[in-house]
Amino acid sequence: MKITSVKSRAIALLSTTALLATIVVASPAQAAAVGPTCDAKTPIQTCVGTTSDDAAYEIRVPSNFNGTVALWSHGLGVSWPVSAGLLPPFPNGIPVDPRANVAPFTVIGSTSSALASSILADGVAVMGSGFSVQGWNLDEAVKTNVELIGIFKKAFPTTKKVVAWGYSAGGGITQALAEQHPELVDAVAIIDPVAPAPAMQKLLMDALWLFKTYFDPSMKLTGYSAGKAGDLEATADIGKMYSILASVGANVSSGKWPATAGPSGKALEAAGVPSRSAMLLCALLVGMPVQSASYDNINGPDGALKLTFPLAVSPALASLENFGVALTSGLSMAREWDTKFGPNWYDNTKTNFATQLSESDRDIYNAALSGNTVIDALLGVLNPANPAAPRMVGEASAVAKAAGMYSTTGKITVPTIMMTGTNDPVPAASWIQQVSDKYAVQFAAEKAAAIAAAKKSRSYVAPKNKLGVVWLKPPKNWTKFDATGTPIAQSYVAGNGHAAFTQKQFKFMIDAAIKAANAGSVSTTGTFVSTARKAGMVRDKFSSYPYLKYYN
Amino acid sequence: MTRMNRRALITASAVLAVAALTATTIPAQASEVGVSNSEIKLGMTLPMTGTASPGYNKIPGAMKAYFDYVNANGGVNGRKITIKVEDDRYVPTEAVAKTNKLILQDKVMALISPLGTANNKAVAASVNPARRGVPVLFVNTGFSGFADTKKYPTTYPILPSYVMEAKIMAEYIKDNFAGKTLGLVYQDDDFGTDALKGFTQAGVTFAAKVAYASGSQSAATAAGWVTKLSTAKCDVVVLFGVSSATAAGLGTAAALKYAPQWILGSVGGDATTIKASGVPAGVLYNAVGASFAPATTDAEDEYVKLFSDIYAKAVPGSAFDSYVLGAMNSAFVAAQALKAAGPDLTRKSLMAAIESKGASFASAALLPLNYSKTSHVGYSGYWFGKYSPTGDLKPVDGKYVLYTTDSGSGAVVKSTWKRPAMPAKGLPN
Repeated sequence: MKITSVKSRAIALLSTTALLATIVVASPAQAAAVGPTCDAKTPIQTCVGTTSDDAAYEIRVPSNFNGTVALWSHGLGVSWPVSAGLLPPFPNGIPVDPRANVAPFTVIGSTSSALASSILADGVAVMGSGFSVQGWNLDEAVKTNVELIGIFKKAFPTTKKVVAWGYSAGGGITQALAEQHPELVDAVAIIDPVAPAPAMQKLLMDALWLFKTYFDPSMKLTGYSAGKAGDLEATADIGKMYSILASVGANVSSGKWPATAGPSGKALEAAGVPSRSAMLLCALLVGMPVQSASYDNINGPDGALKLTFPLAVSPALASLENFGVALTSGLSMAREWDTKFGPNWYDNTKTNFATQLSESDRDIYNAALSGNTVIDALLGVLNPANPAAPRMVGEASAVAKAAGMYSTTGKITVPTIMMTGTNDPVPAASWIQQVSDKYAVQFAAEKAAAIAAAKKSRSYVAPKNKLGVVWLKPPKNWTKFDATGTPIAQSYVAGNGHAAFTQKQFKFMIDAAIKAANAGSVSTTGTFVSTARKAGMVRDKFSSYPYLKYYN
Repeated sequence: MTRMNRRALITASAVLAVAALTATTIPAQASEVGVSNSEIKLGMTLPMTGTASPGYNKIPGAMKAYFDYVNANGGVNGRKITIKVEDDRYVPTEAVAKTNKLILQDKVMALISPLGTANNKAVAASVNPARRGVPVLFVNTGFSGFADTKKYPTTYPILPSYVMEAKIMAEYIKDNFAGKTLGLVYQDDDFGTDALKGFTQAGVTFAAKVAYASGSQSAATAAGWVTKLSTAKCDVVVLFGVSSATAAGLGTAAALKYAPQWILGSVGGDATTIKASGVPAGVLYNAVGASFAPATTDAEDEYVKLFSDIYAKAVPGSAFDSYVLGAMNSAFVAAQALKAAGPDLTRKSLMAAIESKGASFASAALLPLNYSKTSHVGYSGYWFGKYSPTGDLKPVDGKYVLYTTDSGSGAVVKSTWKRPAMPAKGLPN
């Protein structure tokens, strides 16, 4: 079997990730708002302008405007540019793109424009901005969205309902907008959202530190130089991350470690520990899904590896494919936060990594982890007393600044529809599960209060349900192999990848949110379920996805 | 407005009153997923194909043979029991996918005898039968953790735990092989961890311990085990692994002329499967093995007689081995649980029946079940025997000596329990 050839193809998938779909540079704040300037065309009138923080925005209003506007928030863009020629997956660099988005940038099997048109055809206006600050921008983006809502209502005074929606970081922005300004939005649709800042920081920095510790101690991760020099240092870190993924992938059968491995990695290699087990452990320790677009951990090539491949090899390949999607953004944010808060803004001196491997994962993936003896050896390297694995020691003021960022609470205040692929590498399923569980408690309390009130009034008024969650689950199995037994890289398989949805699925979300806005509540039965199913998604009230490690 | 409010209130009160009356005067209709007036649907996952399947792949046929026998005799409270079988090839992720199918698509009432520690953990974590209220009956794994009623509230183990087995095995070793140099081969996961826990609890010291990662067992890796064991001069070796590991260990050792006294764990000790892997019966001869059920060759045992007869008619030509006996016994216990739950069968009533009456269910085992409201422990003991020249496990001197213990620090004691007579025709009573 030629597993080696898979890697270059798998990594090439990174360029398609929606995480980096929109990239905008930071802009000076507090300029005067400009616009909106409208073209007065029919049947779709387009208006553009900039908000007072200099964020470009775009508004499209159909001639049959029915009073509802959909406010889109796009996903994460790097806050610093990556030059061309430095990263193989991005030969042209990661360009600056300050354009506003009025709908999802990436739509599987369709286009953003077609999706926007389908919404406009319903008489719904669409709008969105490019935001003034890129990267992790919840604080700034909420302000921009608040201003944009005001601009729209002023320009189109027949507005009746505002529905906000967004994916990835835009999902976090949308959630933050609903939490901070429930009076401004009538419903929200949150897609593949980022989790609250501390949980995301832990996920990303833990993963990067594990990569540094096992595979390449020269990764910098913090203390980047100012300006262009720092940009290059961070870009070099991203390049090292790709090299690690490529090396582990290329040697997945032999278990050979990257040449860049430090003393700990080399000692593990000498002890017969395969690098693929270390890669998988990294994923399990941070809560990264270990099924991916190309690897289901079920199928194996015909022949001797039919069973061995899904048990011992596939989980590691899925891990590195998911890391490839998530950690480019992770390093982007590491650099951004380093600049924003100061060096050493992250502290993992008290992290007990051994406890982050769940008892279940230890056993479920035991074969791929090469058994308990190997697992214990891998965890032993992470012992704080290991001088070859120095922890990241935080600087108090920088750590405090990082902790001061706005963090979504998950409290549902307005009708909310949430959707994610269950193997999303962000990983959104964890956060949506937590929001869903919290809301179940909240709703039970509201119901108990209503019953108590009914005992006095003798009239029961049921509380309004305000949350509907749908999951995009992968097929029963999906890994494919060519005639030589080599796994075939796949760019899209439902339920995998980040923010990867079809037009029908996006449309379901915005339609459900609009319906909820009009009703003031979310109906999760009847057409909600049947329409979701037709779009390939399910409502599963018994869903059970593990919380992010930050909450354990 | 005041009048309208009053009118609305009166109407609402009337509706509530009628609803209350309805609730108290009309008997509740039995309505449960997987249960109809004529059928009870059960589902199971296990390796039916692939390298892990030999032996295990006989389980569904054995269970179906017994359920068909029950069905032919009127079923359970008028309902016939059917089982939907899904092949997971012993791959945890596949077990998750297949279990999801059983619960969500096939809409089975309960899972029965899903096999494998890792697979059951994967299902518990991802499918979460507990959250869905789906009973997981008589899991085919001896991992002690599944008896944790807080963590796995709808899961009911039936096999004695690996900790129990190791503790009892340690007692046997002390009684029969005192002073010998001991070796151990075990699986490097929870299966093996349970065994180590039991041996440690019992104070057994091994001169050589060989851990193999699940899936790595082969003739080539077994050669390394033999080198370690023989170098340490082990003259008694415990093979506490799956059948393929047992077969690899025995076969390779024989080829290398290494012949210690073998003690085989129950999981990998099925003679039919070992012999089918190419290990001659002579290599098995005189090895020590353990079981909680009567010997499959015990022609005097009423359960063995009935079950072997049913199986021979249902699956002609297939050997009646320990997997078949165990599977038919689990089916027999399941039928009693379904019967005990009564005609208004629900998932809740089924679990309640096991917890309230399970300890008195009849079974082929030579030890009682330990189910109660606070215990999901199934059997809790073993007898030891030796393999005959034809490779059949039989009690030493033809007499079953049962030992029992717990998965904690409890002592190992001889069991004085006497198995009650089989219910008429071996049907649930």
